[in-house]
Amino acid sequence: MEPPVEAAKDRTKPAIGFLTVIEHPQHGLFGGYLILNFAGRPIEFHCTAPVKPNRAQQILYGPTLDAFLYGEQIGATLLGHAKTNPLAICTDREPALALGDLTDLPVALVLPPEEVPVAGPTSVPPGGQIVLRLDAAHRHPPRLCTFELGRNRLALARGGEEHRQRFTQQLAAAAESFDLWEPFTRIREAIEEAQQAAR
Amino acid sequence: MNDESFDREPSATASQSAGDLLHWQPPPAPEVASLDFAFATETRITGWNRALERPMTIEVASLAVDHPPPRAIRIPIRQAAIRVRSFQFPQPAEIVAAPAAPHDAETTHHAPRDAVRHAERDEYTRIRPPEDVIKLEDRLNYLLQPPLESLLSDRELAMPFQPFPFQFEGVAFLYPRHAAILADEMGLGKTMQAITAIRLLLRRGEVRSVLMVCPKPLVTNWQREFQLWAPELPTLTIEGDQARRAWQWRLADVPLRIANYEVVIRDREILDGQRTHLAPRDEEHLAERDEYVRPISFDLVVLDESQRIKNRGSTTSEVVRGLSRRRGWALTGTPVENSAEDLVGIFEFLAPGFLSAEMKPRKMGRTVSDYVLRRTKEQVLTELPPKMFRDADLELTPEQRETYRLAEEEGVVRLTEMGDAATIQHVFELVLRLKQICNFDTATGASAKLERLEADLEEIAGSGRKAIVFSQWVGTIRRLSKALRRFGPLEYHGQIPSSQRDGVICRFRDDPAARVILMSYGAGAVGLNLQFASYVFLFDRWWNPAVEDQAINRAHRIGATGPTTVTRFLSLDTIEERIDKVLEEKRELFETIFSGAKGPGKLGLTHDELFGLFSLPGRGGGTKRAA
Repeated sequence: MEPPVEAAKDRTKPAIGFLTVIEHPQHGLFGGYLILNFAGRPIEFHCTAPVKPNRAQQILYGPTLDAFLYGEQIGATLLGHAKTNPLAICTDREPALALGDLTDLPVALVLPPEEVPVAGPTSVPPGGQIVLRLDAAHRHPPRLCTFELGRNRLALARGGEEHRQRFTQQLAAAAESFDLWEPFTRIREAIEEAQQAAR
Repeated sequence: MNDESFDREPSATASQSAGDLLHWQPPPAPEVASLDFAFATETRITGWNRALERPMTIEVASLAVDHPPPRAIRIPIRQAAIRVRSFQFPQPAEIVAAPAAPHDAETTHHAPRDAVRHAERDEYTRIRPPEDVIKLEDRLNYLLQPPLESLLSDRELAMPFQPFPFQFEGVAFLYPRHAAILADEMGLGKTMQAITAIRLLLRRGEVRSVLMVCPKPLVTNWQREFQLWAPELPTLTIEGDQARRAWQWRLADVPLRIANYEVVIRDREILDGQRTHLAPRDEEHLAERDEYVRPISFDLVVLDESQRIKNRGSTTSEVVRGLSRRRGWALTGTPVENSAEDLVGIFEFLAPGFLSAEMKPRKMGRTVSDYVLRRTKEQVLTELPPKMFRDADLELTPEQRETYRLAEEEGVVRLTEMGDAATIQHVFELVLRLKQICNFDTATGASAKLERLEADLEEIAGSGRKAIVFSQWVGTIRRLSKALRRFGPLEYHGQIPSSQRDGVICRFRDDPAARVILMSYGAGAVGLNLQFASYVFLFDRWWNPAVEDQAINRAHRIGATGPTTVTRFLSLDTIEERIDKVLEEKRELFETIFSGAKGPGKLGLTHDELFGLFSLPGRGGGTKRAA
């Protein structure tokens, strides 16, 4: 277990952190971390240069590579640069939940607003016969437990009951009016803008 | 195996087999022969048995296996330091935070609630940095701001009505810009968009002193609109005698001032910080009151109907350009009225030197594209009832025709005789005289237009509707008022005192007997909301289509519940028909600049073209604009 990410220098503020990672086919991964106050105003923004795993990492981390890159490498690095300690961190990338092992802050996955369709996808096999699913496809046992906060749907890794309680207690008031999915759009645009400026 | 089967023919059928069995004979006896198998055998000696009895000899050979011990190879998993760019954003102290009382006033400004979708997750309006913001940190500060819908959902920024999505876009356009023209077509709510952007800037503390400059008749309109859309904002209207105005200009902590253009011109010395306006007693205390000799500066100056400064040589333009400010916005539905130079004039206020009159229209359009936001009703208001044009091409009455013919002949002869001494003013005089005859015969009062107007108004009044009639002359309006008395006409023009004008509009709206309002283009073309009128008549034509459009859009605007029918009177075979062609060319110019379409070969109405209305050669004015 890695040591916890160094605590931010400033005191904890009524703020929320938003962490996302963008995958670029050529350049690699770009991380972005935005801290907003409860009015949705930006306090800090941090973004990484592109990150690419080397061959050894790809082989040795295997299926845990994404969690390592999103959570330990990018997430922890970005948190280490922040001066403000938010009350909680939201991410829209599931592997970034691994950051929760490295920080005392609760980290939750914000689920997209779209509803999960009940019927499975329509597939057309090579023979041309159309198959319609009337039920949901069999799934793996859920790895995440979901909960609602205001008008938002969040998910935590299994066993994150304590984090769920902290989320609910600390963000309940803000989440009533706060669309926790929206700030990720801002981060993506900001990363793109920063990259354009760097070229 | 049964013997019988051997004699049966393989191809015999079942019926044949039955017949054959009846004639069966036994086969002949087989022949027997004997063979002798008694062969002689002999044993040969090979020596193999002795070899088998000999013992085996086993030889052992040793081979050394000589290889190095296995080596472990270290493959380091390098974790290069990740480079991070960090940005901190200032948290401005927000001001003007008095909570707004919920507003339940019902006006016709707002979008119908059922026609406006509330902002959903994928419909947010984002504030994007203008192109002239270079520093990355500043650009990110805009990009990372919450969507407008979120900012305005604050209870303290409650809005009386749900804006249209395109109005949110307009606010997002103005908010980050230090130089901008909001050039929406009339009736799309430029006022509301500007007020909301101002409100947000004040709220965030990004601006602290705003000056709204507008035409005098629109001051009360702006007061009303600010009260409606930003009731928490204290506004100060600059008015009264000079001493009072000087005091008003110098008052501290006034977030918003409203002044008309004439007041700004009169108070230029106060605004410039010159001493000449000070009374002697002020001079005595100058040392203690040195704030009286500093220029007054504003964080934001907004010009309503900014076409007022299109002429760069005018006093209005000069004074307005001299206002000390950090930001400047221009609001106009007609950034180009006559020629591309109009736009250059407005940009001399916004960003001096940014445009030049020599630019071709298409290049000018590209250059200003990030500074100008222009939407038409057709683009954004699919719910707005249609605007229907009805061109009434009328033959003059015989009396008018005769008077017209004489006047034109006499005028042309006079101009010809004057030769080079004839000026543009002489041509204008003749044009105006002929246009007046097209309205009313000066000798008999006969009017083909009036006959048609009366007939139309009968029908309009009969169906309970209201109409607006525009003319460029107060004299025409007065004559119409007398002739149309049975329709309860109201007059709204420059000779109606400002203090009475609001009352006229209210009466037109509320009095069912007042079926028609007679307006001059100058007084009634801008800033009024008359969407309860369904019919607009252009009794005579203005010099440029933009002013006509403004007039029409008094009725055809947000809140109109039915189609607006516009009737444009045109006297055939007269000066009006010739001017109409010029107006169409100007319309094309506008399209060229703001849509990138291929433009006309000539721009505006030049001196030569004015003389050309009477087939007279030009007088050296060349391409200089005359109207």
